[in-house]
Amino acid sequence: MFPPVGLPLETVRMRCLLYLGCCALVALHSVRAAAGGELLSPDAPPEQAIDHYIDTRLQRVGVSPAPQADDANLLRRTMLDLVGRPPTALEAKAYLACQDSAKRLQTVERLMASPAFVRQQAAEFDAWLMEGTRGNIREYLAKAFRENRSWDRMFRELIVGEPDDPKQQGAIRFLAARAKDPDKLTNDTSVLFFGVNVSCAKCHDHPLVDDWKQDHYYGMLSFFSRTFDVGEFFGEREYGRVSFKTVEGESRDAKLMFLTGAVIDEPATPEPDDKAKKEEKKKIDELRKNKEVPPPPLYSRRAALIEAALHDSEQAFFAKAIVNHLFNRLFGRGLVMPVDQMHAESPPSHPELLAWLARDLQTHGYDLRRLIRGIVLSEAYARSSRWDSAAQRPAESLFAVALIRPLKPWQYGTQLKLAATDCQQYPAEMSAEEMDNRMQQLEAAGRALGASFELPGVDFQVGVDEALLLSNGEKIANDLLATGDGSLVGRLAQLSDARAVAEAAIWNVFARPPADDEVKALTDYRSQRADRIEAARRQMVWALLTSSECRFNY
Amino acid sequence: MTAHSSGVSRRSFLGAAAVGAGAVAADMTALDVLRSPLLASELKRGEKRVILLWLAGGASQLETFDPKPGRPTGGPYRAIPTAEPGIHVSELMPKFAQRIKHTAIIRSLDTKIADHGQAARLMHIGRRDEPSLRYPDLGAILARELGQADSRVPDYVNFYTATEGRGSGISQAGFLGARYNAMFLTEQNTPQNLHKLEEINDLDHVERAELRNLLTARFARGRESAPLASHNEAYARVRGLMASEKLFDISGEPQRIREMYGPTLFGEQALIARRLIEAGVPFVKVSRAWWDSHGQNFETHLELVTELDHVMSALVDDLQARGLLEHTLIVTLSEFGRTPVINASLGRDHFASAWSVSLTGCGIRGGTVYGASDEDGQTVKDGKVGAGEVFATIFQALGLDHQKHYEVGIRPVPLTDIGTKPIKEVLA
Amino acid sequence: MSVDLQLKTLKEHSRKEIFLCVVRAPGGSRIFVGASDGNVYDVDPLAEKPDFQPLAGHASFVTGVAVAGDLLVSGSYDCKLLWRKLAGDEIVHSVENAHSRWIRKVVASPDGRLIATVGDDMVCRLWEAPSGKLLHELRGHDEQTPHHFPSMLYTCAFSADGQRLATADKTGRICLWDVSTGARIKQLEAPGFYTWDPRQRIHSIGGTRSLAFTPDGKSLLAGGIGAIGNIDHLDGPARVETFDLESGQSTHVFSGDAKGLVEQLVFHAEGKWLLGVGGDNGGFWQVYDLAEKKVVRSEKAPMHVHAAALSDDAMQLCAVGHGKVVVWQVENAAPGSN
Repeated sequence: MFPPVGLPLETVRMRCLLYLGCCALVALHSVRAAAGGELLSPDAPPEQAIDHYIDTRLQRVGVSPAPQADDANLLRRTMLDLVGRPPTALEAKAYLACQDSAKRLQTVERLMASPAFVRQQAAEFDAWLMEGTRGNIREYLAKAFRENRSWDRMFRELIVGEPDDPKQQGAIRFLAARAKDPDKLTNDTSVLFFGVNVSCAKCHDHPLVDDWKQDHYYGMLSFFSRTFDVGEFFGEREYGRVSFKTVEGESRDAKLMFLTGAVIDEPATPEPDDKAKKEEKKKIDELRKNKEVPPPPLYSRRAALIEAALHDSEQAFFAKAIVNHLFNRLFGRGLVMPVDQMHAESPPSHPELLAWLARDLQTHGYDLRRLIRGIVLSEAYARSSRWDSAAQRPAESLFAVALIRPLKPWQYGTQLKLAATDCQQYPAEMSAEEMDNRMQQLEAAGRALGASFELPGVDFQVGVDEALLLSNGEKIANDLLATGDGSLVGRLAQLSDARAVAEAAIWNVFARPPADDEVKALTDYRSQRADRIEAARRQMVWALLTSSECRFNY
Repeated sequence: MTAHSSGVSRRSFLGAAAVGAGAVAADMTALDVLRSPLLASELKRGEKRVILLWLAGGASQLETFDPKPGRPTGGPYRAIPTAEPGIHVSELMPKFAQRIKHTAIIRSLDTKIADHGQAARLMHIGRRDEPSLRYPDLGAILARELGQADSRVPDYVNFYTATEGRGSGISQAGFLGARYNAMFLTEQNTPQNLHKLEEINDLDHVERAELRNLLTARFARGRESAPLASHNEAYARVRGLMASEKLFDISGEPQRIREMYGPTLFGEQALIARRLIEAGVPFVKVSRAWWDSHGQNFETHLELVTELDHVMSALVDDLQARGLLEHTLIVTLSEFGRTPVINASLGRDHFASAWSVSLTGCGIRGGTVYGASDEDGQTVKDGKVGAGEVFATIFQALGLDHQKHYEVGIRPVPLTDIGTKPIKEVLA
Repeated sequence: MSVDLQLKTLKEHSRKEIFLCVVRAPGGSRIFVGASDGNVYDVDPLAEKPDFQPLAGHASFVTGVAVAGDLLVSGSYDCKLLWRKLAGDEIVHSVENAHSRWIRKVVASPDGRLIATVGDDMVCRLWEAPSGKLLHELRGHDEQTPHHFPSMLYTCAFSADGQRLATADKTGRICLWDVSTGARIKQLEAPGFYTWDPRQRIHSIGGTRSLAFTPDGKSLLAGGIGAIGNIDHLDGPARVETFDLESGQSTHVFSGDAKGLVEQLVFHAEGKWLLGVGGDNGGFWQVYDLAEKKVVRSEKAPMHVHAAALSDDAMQLCAVGHGKVVVWQVENAAPGSN
């Protein structure tokens, strides 16, 4: 309730002022730059809206976007995003050879109908929602994505709990992982579900952002303040108010207030007297001893949060936040950046687009598949990440050229394992079911390998630890450069023609046609090592595996 | 491309092949840096280093730097005079007492947090965490400020302890990026993966990396981005870091020197720290766990302070003999101190209201004490400071402006919070 | 027929000091207690309103007090030994730096003619009681532990006939000495008392804290703490180990039933029973049956007990420790013990 320890209040204010002064300057500039076009009809599909608004802005500023990425590039990008792995060489070859103009659409729909899609979304959402905690909710998420549960339903299940989960083992672990720290719970919920980081408003009204006052912070905290933990379970009281001190020293009772400023009406529940509190404590101790889940309250503030969030059709924090998050994940940049600063001083790069997509989500029952499909089918998504033009590289906020995105740990692990496996292990004749089974095994191995890598955050950098591990680690070398059956290195040993070796290796690892200069580089390397061909093979595969082309989603 | 010439500045010697592909043989296997007098003198001039002696678990200030003999909770150990008249330390630190002219003791630290995890973070980062910003720890900042961009030695070496574990999350590069992550070691006094595998010869190891660079370079054309650049920078540093492996090997040190530091793990790691900073590593953290003497505080401190006294003195003597002490700052820090009150197991518990840190060497006015606790050490009587002030003082001692800003996105972030003042009285 | 006894509290006094050692003045309930404030307190705990008379003279924890003839000898972490007259308490003799490091215990021979002291310089010194003349220096304990840390010599005890002396240290080494010649007779190893943690904490806190010969002189008992998981705390089993002095073999280990250090072992003069006292954050007392090799009783004490003194008639036990002095009545001992 008071300023961070050790820091005089003035310091905090000055620090915030300095920061927000800079924010405001940038914001002013963006507001001028981001004038949108005419509002698109709500009947259009999302991908059309995305292209409409992005292209309109590009025209306005006179920037020509990069061309579409080539087939191999786009297939890899799409598969990594939808099913968490790159294509095998055979899959890539088949896609390139296919002449059907609808092949992209068909591929997207096939991928989204596959079980791997469910697994990948569960992995992504788990990493996103449970970062910084010790829990995981993958099982719940897999179930939710399999059934294509709506995002508002998932939100309710994560915050209030699933009705058929008496032992609190499912979605509610989101809350459980944070139950001991109400400030973290409040802030995480705010950031993840509403795109708003209100933590600055804990100690004082946000100096430049009119939207956020102490009332907002404590209003949000109030939704969670009645939650208490009982050993590994937790419950919610019927009573309790949050009070806080303003900078003037005035003591205030927090109102149950959502980010919009809307105050929630709730039944009056007076604070119980000491005797009743003692009774309650006894009951709680009993529950803890018997390892029982507390019964739910008659009136739940957490449930009230759900209602408040969904009734906010005006500012649509809930809808906009998930749109922004998915944009950030799939494009490498949100429409509002940073993603947790959705307020008046931080305007979106494409305000109409954000509004349109939020409304589309709302009117289609918060269907996440619809939104993901729309993004992935847009032209903006399919742009090349290479800027070949002599003109200056355009600002990222224009979405004129695709961004390089570091792979998530499980994706990189899976990519490496797949690339190091002979693609003939997954022949085209294999049934989809068999293929999926094989891929599940691969993903498990990939996840294990991925444990060595960090989850990328903002401004991600690769540490030298990773380079040393891949350069000199014994386990990794054994894992990826083995010569056994089914391995890439093993397959290359069966080829005698130097060119064939190089081409096979490049296809297998990068899932795209090899270029002459890289084939030459590989054949030269090999020919210099005629006395140690076997070692040369492993080294060539190493060079391909550790290339940046594997490390990033481009 | 090689650069075997002696007598050149360190930057040119080590920086020769820093560009893009082909970080090759300008590595330290070619030249024994520690023996070349010209190179050593080049290193000595102008470049600052830090050795952080992290006393994990909470060392008792009453059994080290701020004794209260004769008081009801002062404990059984007496105070001894030091070489500086008027300054006394615990009788457990006789060697340190003789060498106090290099050291400033700060006795008035009040950091308020008595929980291991949070307090350790505070003392590593110098300020409280923020939910929206990941601050770099002291090592990461100094790696950046004192290190070389194309460094062939690690910037930041961290001997963490088995008690804390590596994933304890108390040190981080934060917004400075993984480039400034520490190189971690524990009982194996050599970092992992510094040694190439048997199956590949040296030439192949180098040329394999060149092949990689070539393949990556064609991919990277037209795709400039910071994460991509960091990926390649990491690989470019591999050979240089591998060459620094020998720095971690003390078997080549003369017996006299090894005996000076003593046979304990802490002593060995301190010797490695000296080797590292002598070779240009700007920041080395040596941790000694675990000082958390809730029971048998006096037995514990008898062992641990005796060792600290010995090792710290060896370090000071060794650095001084090599002309490095004036360029090296040695810091002792804990997450907090210990209670004056003695519990029934003859232990002391966590205490953050009045405790001590010490600063030795570079930029420090030695033979001084700043601040005071009350007669029993229950509160700070004079000169109260927090983690921020200690960090500001460390930065100033190294010639860095503690108000210098980093740009995080568009947000300016100063090294220490605005308004923090370094403790001028301990600065030279 | 198993030995058993009860201790019934007669008196309990709370003070702010930590009391580390205690000895009875001959003939009565008057005791001398060594305290953490450097004082020896002269007090009769059974008095209506006990008056804790402070006897100043030490600069640190007083860790040993003994009575020899009409003299009280005290030793402290300040490395000093002081001789006082029992009557009047005046200091008649002092030895500065009697040990070069902290004195851990002071005991008198049964006949009151000798004083034995041990300290962290790892030497045991035998002094002529009345004059304070140094007779022997017994060296048999290493100054450093096997892991290169300074060791501690915690305790010593005379055999009932006064002919032999035992000393015990941090690492669990026990030495047996001939009192008249100062020669070492035997060396016993009790490594179970050495609580060295090689991995996480890289130090130790235990050690052999107490010693007692059986009244028949055939066995030696050592007390301390057993294996500890987390040596930040005294979180391990109270441990007593018995040695057969003929063979030098360890014959039994009493472990568990209570947690903490066994700080002192108290024998009934004729060996009818054996008590151990000690503690961790709390305190305990235990009764051991040597014949049946088991802990007969283990009870809580009101505080961590550092030392205890038995009255001559074995009916009262005075225990001192963390912030308290307690006098217990010994009751319900095995039939025929009076």
